[in-house]
Amino acid sequence: MTLQVAPPDVATPQDAQAAADSQSGWLVVAEQESRDLWTSGRGLILLFLFSVLLSGVTYLTSTNQALNFLEQRESVNLVLQLAVAVGVLVTLVVSADGISGERERGTLESLLVTPVSRRSIIAGKLVAALTMWFATFVITIPYVWVLARRVGILGQALTLGLLVGTLVALGLGSVGLLISGMCNTNKTSIAASIFLLLILFAPTQLPSGLPQGWFFDVLLRANPVASALAYISSMLVEGHGWTEDLSFLITPLLTAIIAGGALVLAGPRLVRLTPGVNAG
Amino acid sequence: MTSMTVEAVRLTKRYGGRSAVEDVSFTASQGEIVGLLGPNGAGKTTTIRLLTTVLSPSSGEFSIAGHPSTAGTEIRRCVGVLPESGGYPAHQTGGEYLRFFGRLHGLGRSAANTKAAELLATVSLEHRAESPISSYSRGMRQRLGIARTLVNDPVVVFLDEPTLGLDPAGQAQVLEIIRGIAKGRDATVVLSTHLLPEVEEVCSKVVILNHGRVIVSGSVGEVISTAFIKQSAQLRVPLDLVEPARNVLAGFPDLTVDQLMEQPDVLTLAADRPGTATGAASSDMMNAALAAITAAGIPVLRFELEGARLSDAFLRMTSEAVA
Repeated sequence: MTLQVAPPDVATPQDAQAAADSQSGWLVVAEQESRDLWTSGRGLILLFLFSVLLSGVTYLTSTNQALNFLEQRESVNLVLQLAVAVGVLVTLVVSADGISGERERGTLESLLVTPVSRRSIIAGKLVAALTMWFATFVITIPYVWVLARRVGILGQALTLGLLVGTLVALGLGSVGLLISGMCNTNKTSIAASIFLLLILFAPTQLPSGLPQGWFFDVLLRANPVASALAYISSMLVEGHGWTEDLSFLITPLLTAIIAGGALVLAGPRLVRLTPGVNAG
Repeated sequence: MTSMTVEAVRLTKRYGGRSAVEDVSFTASQGEIVGLLGPNGAGKTTTIRLLTTVLSPSSGEFSIAGHPSTAGTEIRRCVGVLPESGGYPAHQTGGEYLRFFGRLHGLGRSAANTKAAELLATVSLEHRAESPISSYSRGMRQRLGIARTLVNDPVVVFLDEPTLGLDPAGQAQVLEIIRGIAKGRDATVVLSTHLLPEVEEVCSKVVILNHGRVIVSGSVGEVISTAFIKQSAQLRVPLDLVEPARNVLAGFPDLTVDQLMEQPDVLTLAADRPGTATGAASSDMMNAALAAITAAGIPVLRFELEGARLSDAFLRMTSEAVA
């Protein structure tokens, strides 16, 4: 008598009630992961470093006349872009630790033998990683307030930063978890994620004097981070409306949908003791 | 009446062309402690991972507490698992750790708190409830891990090498907890370990795996008798009473008695009549010889029956399988 056994998480009538019962499993995972993140000091150290950096930038752009070479709107744009960039970076790093870190520390198997589904484990970890972005944003608020209130764009800047940053953090946080599920070690996962982010940031660091033809435009729009930052710039610096350059948000939106969808579909095959989607 | 809580039927797990476990079948009942034995790489951990739905079998089926292998969530709801070399979040406290797993098993905050306190007391860690796990000794961590396996009042508890790396006192403490799980909670315990004397002590049933296959299963006595090991004994008596002892043993013509060169006060006894070399007949003869020695007023300093232990059977069977 042989029977091919369905993998965990495949819904069966027997599982239906249990799945309904454990719907809040992701919340329990998210709560504990967030607590671990913040009480272990990792999150606080990263935020402290970010606030030091932000303080320096804000001080230079708002008070020092000799160094203040930016328009007020550009200063707000710079601080907001910095917040999005750092927020996305820390979200990506934390999510890249999500699965490979549990594997490496030997704590994953204990999670796998609980009734909480593997998708719920992933969802909880993603939410916990996103708290890094939200904390980064909260820290940015007073800095933006100092700079933006003079030019009357405080509300617009904060709403814009929150929406665009959340979209990019959601997409790249999902990418981080996908990388984490497929990597053999935690170091590989984090290194691969940071490398990916550096590639994505590269176009934003190009000198403004470079020719800006169709190729550059495609490069910019294909990159979720660069195009999101370009959208922020178009509104804050060039004064465009919310819907004027919405096409810049296509790639960040697609990244969030595709990476999030891949997590939902491949999640049960990623959260396992051995890396990759075909193992175990 | 006890009910069957674990039933594995021809369970197989293959990785490409290599089989980690092949056609593994066994059963376990409520309140029973089953020893899952085998040398390194025999397939013990894979078997546990299959039965706890961490891995999916390539073929075969199993049921846990009546739930078929396809009901993964239901199975995980009624099992407790202590993985081999499982890690612990170092910065969490023992109480926090248990509360977290309690909530993952569907307990509310208050119920999880109560359960954590109760289990910490069960494993004698109540005084360290709010200490970070990083400050726990290895034995304390293992006990905490066992407490975690009980957070959902499981029907079946799987313990993979729970005494690994523990000192004798720690091992004894863990074995006492395991006995308590089977007796006090009436749960089935599937215990994977290398400590054969302890298995002999606590397990009512043994399954020996080698190269991914079950080579024997049954009660400890059945497994030992299956091994057909020639039994012998070592008898130590005061040096000046060795000759009187030999004279007494001469009354047992089916026993060959020798004196160890390096330990002249030790006599070796071997049952060598065909048909009595193994099993109960041999044990009876050894016991009769021992009774005769003591009846003759010769003090017995040591009497050790060899070939009648689980470790003898284990070594014999696993080495036979290798050969």
